[in-house]
Amino acid sequence: MICSFVLWPRKVAQAGLLGLIIVLAITVHAQEEAPKAIPILTGYTSYFTRVTAGQYQDVPAVTPLLLVPVGDKWLLEARGSYSDTFSKNAAGDYIGRNVYGLGYAQVDYITKYVTFTAGRFITPFNIYGERLAPSWIRALQVTPLTSPVISGSALGGMMRGGFSGTDKINFNYAFYFSSNNTHHLLATDRSSGGRVGFFLPGPRVEMGASFQQVLQADRPHSSGLYFVWQPNRAPLSLRSEYVRSSGTKGSGYWIESAYRLSQISYLRKLEMVGRGQQFFAASNLTRATVKKLGIFGKDARQADFGMNYYFRSDVRASASYGRQFILGNNANLWTVGMTYRFVMPLGPTGSRL
Amino acid sequence: MKMRFAISAAVVALALAILPAIGATAGPRTGTKTGGSKDSSAPAPATANPAQDENLHLEGEKRFRSNCSRCHAAPPKFAPRMMSTIVRHMRVRANITNEDMRLILRYMSE
Repeated sequence: MICSFVLWPRKVAQAGLLGLIIVLAITVHAQEEAPKAIPILTGYTSYFTRVTAGQYQDVPAVTPLLLVPVGDKWLLEARGSYSDTFSKNAAGDYIGRNVYGLGYAQVDYITKYVTFTAGRFITPFNIYGERLAPSWIRALQVTPLTSPVISGSALGGMMRGGFSGTDKINFNYAFYFSSNNTHHLLATDRSSGGRVGFFLPGPRVEMGASFQQVLQADRPHSSGLYFVWQPNRAPLSLRSEYVRSSGTKGSGYWIESAYRLSQISYLRKLEMVGRGQQFFAASNLTRATVKKLGIFGKDARQADFGMNYYFRSDVRASASYGRQFILGNNANLWTVGMTYRFVMPLGPTGSRL
Repeated sequence: MKMRFAISAAVVALALAILPAIGATAGPRTGTKTGGSKDSSAPAPATANPAQDENLHLEGEKRFRSNCSRCHAAPPKFAPRMMSTIVRHMRVRANITNEDMRLILRYMSE
């Protein structure tokens, strides 16, 4: 027993050494094929004025994202965020409340079929959180009611990837585990879960399903479905998500369509957006829990309409109006503002196109 | 003692693995490589066959439109080295397949 205990670290070290040699060999081989990647600083800034049930808020925000590639297989990613919310208090004075945080800080090792990720990352549940949430991407600035149902961030490890089944179908997957972290800026739940999906390039349809099991407190689990369709014959995007939770966070769905008026020459930079959604509060809530959950303690319906005008691909003005229907709390939601996405190289770029 | 040696060797190997990679990433553009291969920061090389080039261009454009526009408006083309980083990031973020990534990178680096 003693011998095996002593030998174990040596075997681990040997295995690590072997792994590093393989990684080195793959890295050196792969570097000869593609343009050498350089570190870049990208992200977006935004300024939005929101009017929620008569309450004005001005919200400037910046979300920088640092990408540091190492060799041809590694990528370090870190995204922070900072925003200030200015609103009038009872005395009529403007007061600001700033919020900052670390969206994710992860290291990726990318192979042909699998990407291994470690660190803090966005929970791979449906597609809104990972792909559609950034202000410069989202079609409507108002977040769907279902977003808080699942844990948004994770701290641990993840395996993910995409591969072609045939010419007509691509598959993708992501599985993760997360540990509990109680730091006020980096809070995560102990949980595990994943997502599987497929994409049909012909009709441009993507569908998938997600699952999450929280492994602490009352151990709720959540499941979800998503759907994206972009017909070839029209500049239309149709997206939808459904989420159901076994805990106190309820369930719901949203359906969104965005139509780019690219067929009309003088309106080709304009995009019209509509979204409908419904949220169902959990049925087993106590009065205290309903009060704690706020609008998520009651059933809700919401309809939003908006437009985005693309001055350039990286500068966009947005405006939207929404109506929220909650028992005894109906409200109008107005949003108007701009986003700017920036990309800056942090190394020699080579030839400029 | 042996364990200490093995750990030391692992650390050295780690340094050897990381240093060339960092050098390759942050180093200045060096023109041609030993052995006459092309500058790897240049756009993807054209093949000898123009028809094949055209096919790769069309296929790259198709993959770009079907993958990238699923979430956001089409971005402009950046320098190849920047594009390489961006496409790698999107490979992870959007689970783009290896083949799609290569075709998109080629198309966006032309």
